[in-house]
Amino acid sequence: MSSSDQDEFINGDTTEVLQDSYESLEWKAIDFNLLSSYYQQDGNNAAVTGGIGSEALTDFTQKVSLTVPLNKKLSVKFDGGYDYYSSVSTDNIDNVRSSDSSSDIRAHGNIGFSYQLEKQKNISGRIGTSNEYDYFSINSALFYDYKTEDENTTIQLGFQTFQDRWSVIYPREIKNSSSVPTNKRSSYNASFGLSKVINRKMQLFIQLEGTYMNGLLSTPFHRVYFTENSAVKIEKLPSNRLKIPIGIRFNAYLNDWMLARLHYRYYWDSWGIQANTLSAELPLKINRFFAVYPFLRFHSQQAADYFKPYKEHNLQDEYYTSDYDLSKLNSLSYGLGLSYSPAGGIAKFNMPLNQRKFMFKSIDLKYSHYDRSTGLKADIISVGLGFTF
Amino acid sequence: MKRKLFISVSLACFVLMSFSSCSSVKGFQKMYLNDAEMALDPRMLDYFETNFQTYREGASGSNGGKVGGGCGCN
Repeated sequence: MSSSDQDEFINGDTTEVLQDSYESLEWKAIDFNLLSSYYQQDGNNAAVTGGIGSEALTDFTQKVSLTVPLNKKLSVKFDGGYDYYSSVSTDNIDNVRSSDSSSDIRAHGNIGFSYQLEKQKNISGRIGTSNEYDYFSINSALFYDYKTEDENTTIQLGFQTFQDRWSVIYPREIKNSSSVPTNKRSSYNASFGLSKVINRKMQLFIQLEGTYMNGLLSTPFHRVYFTENSAVKIEKLPSNRLKIPIGIRFNAYLNDWMLARLHYRYYWDSWGIQANTLSAELPLKINRFFAVYPFLRFHSQQAADYFKPYKEHNLQDEYYTSDYDLSKLNSLSYGLGLSYSPAGGIAKFNMPLNQRKFMFKSIDLKYSHYDRSTGLKADIISVGLGFTF
Repeated sequence: MKRKLFISVSLACFVLMSFSSCSSVKGFQKMYLNDAEMALDPRMLDYFETNFQTYREGASGSNGGKVGGGCGCN
């Protein structure tokens, strides 16, 4: 034993040295996830046509994420993907069916990091961008997590910004009479979260957020028809909005094979919307690695102050929209999910050129049906595949 | 509105304070808590569903979903 080793032994640090040596040899797996979804909706309240007309839309989405541990404390994360959608309502921007506006691709990508400052403190961040035909966005985020020594309480602080730019498109027939004050939109979000272990089988998480938005918050190709002489204008909404949601998540093991995952959110914003959302999942553990989870979600909201249906706005109104997403509504969604993640993985392959193994780790499937009281119906099916190597 | 918001914040604080005296659960007693199904984060697949709900409803946030970016104009 060298003198320095003797000193460490005397100081009681030998365990730490051995642990560090072990961890430096530990295999640092790279996580890779591939997510896909197919979404379709239909309804008869398209905002593009002033609150009437088809809302039929399909959207195919793929997303990949890669988490690479660089050392014991630092990891980097990349994610990116695209949405390919086709929409009957946006096809009506120019009143020409099957025109260029009938489909679009939105691409997005982020790069982030996570760094363990101390055993109980972690900092993480992200910058990213997204782009579609008429909309470009840059985002950044910073998060700080603090865990108590017993790891039964965690505090999370977060701050996010989004700087967006529209390529403004107006409905063809009112193109010359339409204008917007700016083509920029900014969003700032601050969040505070606290999670707490209640006992061996229960834990909860409370989150308070505040989001402030300003700039062009209306959509320049949404039409609004007025009571007077069938006049038509583009939607007009205030240039700022404050949103305050408060969420509580509660998870519990009910017995050895059944859990409850509950989430409630109260939402308020400065446009007059108040909403309550309650969701419940009941995961059933078929065995240690396979779970089936039926779920139910109920949402209820009041209308924004500026919403009125087709031809019910007056020309004297300061702000106006016939976007049914901002109307008074209730929605119910329900469905089923499956999650399979065996400890040894589903399949393993040898990687060429090195000694690592490529493991097909997990598979997740989820189907959900959505009914909105305005008549809109939607279905979404999602698949997630997890790998490590 | 402010009254409802105040009540919600107060209720959240009350719930937190109620549990502040919970007995400490040791690491070796966390078999159930460490189960993937007990994670307090939203599921990986919820990403897609939360996004469309954010667009189809006026409310957003406090659910792990988008809080900005993207016009959601379709």
